[in-house]
Amino acid sequence: MNKKIMRTIVIACALCLCIGALSGCASNASSSSSSSTTDRTKLVVGFDEDFPPYGYVGDDGQFTGFDLDLASEVAQRNGWTIEYKPINWDAKDLELSSGSIDCIWNGFTIEGREDGYQWTDPYMDNSQVVVVRKDSGITSLSDLAGKTVLAQADSAALHLLQGDQAELASTFKDLKSTPEYNTAFMELQSGAVDAVAIDRPVAKYETAGQDDTYMILDEPLSSEHYGVGCLLGNTSLTETIESTLQDMDSDGTVASICKKYADQGISYDDWILPAK
Amino acid sequence: MDVSTMMGMLGNGFVATLQIFFLTLLGALPLGLLIAFLRMNTKGFHLRGVKIRPISLITQLYISIMRGTPLMLQLFVIYFAPYYVFGQQLTENSRFTATIVAFILNYAAYFAEIYRSGIQSIPRGQYEAAQVLGYSRAQTFVRIILPQVVKRILPPMTNEIITLVKDTSLAFAIGFVEMFTVAKSIVASQRTMAAFIAAGVMYYVFNLLVAFVMNHIEKKMNYYHD
Repeated sequence: MNKKIMRTIVIACALCLCIGALSGCASNASSSSSSSTTDRTKLVVGFDEDFPPYGYVGDDGQFTGFDLDLASEVAQRNGWTIEYKPINWDAKDLELSSGSIDCIWNGFTIEGREDGYQWTDPYMDNSQVVVVRKDSGITSLSDLAGKTVLAQADSAALHLLQGDQAELASTFKDLKSTPEYNTAFMELQSGAVDAVAIDRPVAKYETAGQDDTYMILDEPLSSEHYGVGCLLGNTSLTETIESTLQDMDSDGTVASICKKYADQGISYDDWILPAK
Repeated sequence: MDVSTMMGMLGNGFVATLQIFFLTLLGALPLGLLIAFLRMNTKGFHLRGVKIRPISLITQLYISIMRGTPLMLQLFVIYFAPYYVFGQQLTENSRFTATIVAFILNYAAYFAEIYRSGIQSIPRGQYEAAQVLGYSRAQTFVRIILPQVVKRILPPMTNEIITLVKDTSLAFAIGFVEMFTVAKSIVASQRTMAAFIAAGVMYYVFNLLVAFVMNHIEKKMNYYHD
């Protein structure tokens, strides 16, 4: 008797919780406020602060990076104040749709995410590559058979290895993911993994000056493109960003920003946003 | 990056860590006591010969959920629920508010059980003796029971408080930047482990201080044995 009543109560409580959770989902479809360009005063850029050279902490302790410089210039030309908001990469969609950031601008690969965001036209060409230890004897993608490969959680490289390159990934001993690239390179160096799948500019930055330790495989995993991702439907923001970027390209600002980050693997040759 | 810049950044991060730490203690210590009382509440009714204590049951469910789900998940829920459930736009302050609220709600559940273990360890005879001497129930608790409870629960409280110092690093799940996040970003851009080591030392030294203070309080309360 005693047990029966307890069981009833527990089930009732569980039901209450479920109903609560479901009603939460139901009211999910609230209207998204797509503020128009005219009344915008601020641009909040969400980025992963552990992602050099696109967004990171500079020598002076301030946020810096190629994409952040572009964003700041775009904001300035439109009379907006800029705010850099470091985010937890796994929570980027929640941050964007809840309105706490306006866009994700952080070496953000379009491929595989086409329908998830309101994209600008791609502005940078970016390949996914594989980095290995120089002494590992791995020289091509086929050498990766039986090896352990690491990629950042929810990154383009990981999506690629789980999607289009799944066949290649099936030859690996294991495909692992890590929250950030920094630990990825610690794991590679220490021998915990054999290879890291990563965006080419980041690979160049991380391996700069360490040519005897690391090697980037010549054969890329894929060729991909970077864009600025805004909330679906916010076309006014993507259009403004796009046209401002084109202005910046035509007056040489983009080229000079590329030059600033040249030693970190950024090249104006990869700039692909068509001129107006 | 020179050392002073790095230490300055870590210092700022540490201030954020301390904010979470002190505000959580400020909120969770009293809330935990309240929850412990509700948990031990005996008010109820008989249903087919079984006593049902609704207040105690609801509190037990609360403690069970708070202890049974990850703090990181609770941070997500509390931060994003106002928008996804109630359609309310998040503001600049909601990140900080959600962090503090989540930490207080989570830690209060653990504190409540520690309080309860202390309160229930006091023999019934003391309540009866106090009643004979004419103490009211409130007087009995504040003057006789609570001082002994505090004494007994100090070691497990120290455990929990030290865990809190380290748990603050979970706050970046919702983008609240504290010391460990700062250390990670420095390591990522400077490609050196120095920031991790410095952060580790700062956590350790602060926890040494916490242990020292708690030890000191324990000694001060060592005025009688039972």
